[in-house]
Amino acid sequence: MQRLLLAVPVMFGVLLVGFLLMQVVPTDPAIVRAGPNASAEVIAQIRTDLGLDEPLYVQFALYLWRLLQGDLGVSIINNVPVAGELASTIGPTLELMLASLIWSIPLGIAMGTVGAYWRGALIDRVVMAFSVAGVSVPVFFLGLVLIWFVGFQWQWLPFTGREGPLWTWQGLRAIILPAITLGGVFVGPVARMTRTAVLDVLGADHVRTARAKGLTERLVVTRHALRNAMVPVVTLIGLQIGFLLGGAVVTETVFSWPGVGRLAVGAILSSDFPMAQGTIIVLSMGFILVNLTVDLLYGVLDPRVRAS
Amino acid sequence: MSTTVTEIVAPARPGTLKLLLREPAAAVALAIVVLVILAALLAPWLAPYDPFETDLMAVMQPPDDKYLLGTDGQGRDMLSRMLFGLRVTLAMGALSLGIGGAIGVAMGFAAAYYRRVDGLLMRLADIMLSFPAILFGLAIAAIFGPGVTAVVIALAVATVPLMARIARSTALVVLGQDYIEAARAQGMGDARLIWRHLMPNCASPILVFATLRFGQVILLGSALSFLGLGAQPPIAELGAMAAQGRTFLFFAPHISVIPAIGIFVVVLAFNVLGDALRDALDPRLRV
Repeated sequence: MQRLLLAVPVMFGVLLVGFLLMQVVPTDPAIVRAGPNASAEVIAQIRTDLGLDEPLYVQFALYLWRLLQGDLGVSIINNVPVAGELASTIGPTLELMLASLIWSIPLGIAMGTVGAYWRGALIDRVVMAFSVAGVSVPVFFLGLVLIWFVGFQWQWLPFTGREGPLWTWQGLRAIILPAITLGGVFVGPVARMTRTAVLDVLGADHVRTARAKGLTERLVVTRHALRNAMVPVVTLIGLQIGFLLGGAVVTETVFSWPGVGRLAVGAILSSDFPMAQGTIIVLSMGFILVNLTVDLLYGVLDPRVRAS
Repeated sequence: MSTTVTEIVAPARPGTLKLLLREPAAAVALAIVVLVILAALLAPWLAPYDPFETDLMAVMQPPDDKYLLGTDGQGRDMLSRMLFGLRVTLAMGALSLGIGGAIGVAMGFAAAYYRRVDGLLMRLADIMLSFPAILFGLAIAAIFGPGVTAVVIALAVATVPLMARIARSTALVVLGQDYIEAARAQGMGDARLIWRHLMPNCASPILVFATLRFGQVILLGSALSFLGLGAQPPIAELGAMAAQGRTFLFFAPHISVIPAIGIFVVVLAFNVLGDALRDALDPRLRV
């Protein structure tokens, strides 16, 4: 609940920063909207329509009002509405993230559990070495290596762009390499966090009781240890979503994946301020929403949180 | 009546360095960190060629006797560029960690010491933590334009709340100790108390965090440079070099792969060292 209350001023702050961003950049939105061949009268008319002659706080209110109606301005570069571009890129970004998480989280949890159970054994050392390598490898390195071998040398899978919806054969093939890249850097942190959480739980009294009752080791681990370790794991995975977002921006760039991250980078590099502003607002809002969802999930997994 | 005085001798505390070197991986990591820092510092003397000098007769040369790591797309010596690139990458990391860390420590200590501002400062930290570093990177590059400065600012900002939390929680433990009470009773002033007692006793957790954070900052900084938001050509920076090499990936993979491996090795060394340092400095883990 506290987090929910905090999210409101944070979202407001994001919008305010986004608004101020447009105040410091050297472009006049009226001239941009009017297009290159507009007359002075048309520009003046647009200035009045957009409220650009009003004081800043009025402009901010107008800006929020336009935002509510889905108007995020138009691109300086190609005059297309920012909202439209965002709408067509959010899908691929979510697709990429889901395709990465769907295999990396279960694998990470499995690796972390195995490492914790056989603590100190060879398998544990392998898990730990793999996860520290995983948190140290640059995302683009993984992507470039996959492109070089799987895509270029062996010609097994495509490596540039999205080739259709996921339920088609072409679309599915195209997302494999980006999803391995982005998920690949996520396995390490998940394994590490799971290992710590399971180690904590394995030493707890209720696990000893479960063993004393004569439950099989498998039941002890899956029912008693892992289930109780899930609460910290989910929280920590939630905290890593920012890390995932950073990885997604790089992965999209490496594989020319048509997502929000690539759109954002392209907009910044070409000084397309309205587009940059729109992408940053959407990415921030998305991130805040994910954090809130994780908090709520925390309550579902641990009834004690709900009570307090 | 005679009493036997049993002298209680504390077991000699092995030095941190000794504990650290007991683990082979940590020893290797420490060696790499030292070597990398030396290589970056001595780059102008170690580099066999001028890192900016182009030789259009020798572009995209694979590694050979003349060019140990080959040449890049403009015929510049890769080894020289790697050494200078390491310099920029490490400096970028050190600057952002230094600035963000100092502000974070000040914020954390202030929150722990002056409890009236605790709530306010920690809510501020929470809000800053609501955003991942990459978003700071994108936003700051959008405002100030891409460049090393934008990356340093973004990574410093992203480091502040993390360091503030570590410093605060460590300081709270230290401030609860008796010797703080004793120092206060002796009439020691706030500034002196913080400098003489709080700082030294909070050093280990802060050092561990800084080591681990340095690896992350390098990784993030090189990613931003790879995207084109950081170091701009012709500056040699490992992430930017990997990005430039991407164009020639299919003809000359070494141009982008060598800098990428460089980043990987440096970050890995700092992460392994940070983990080992934490184990060595945390007495609870010592058996």
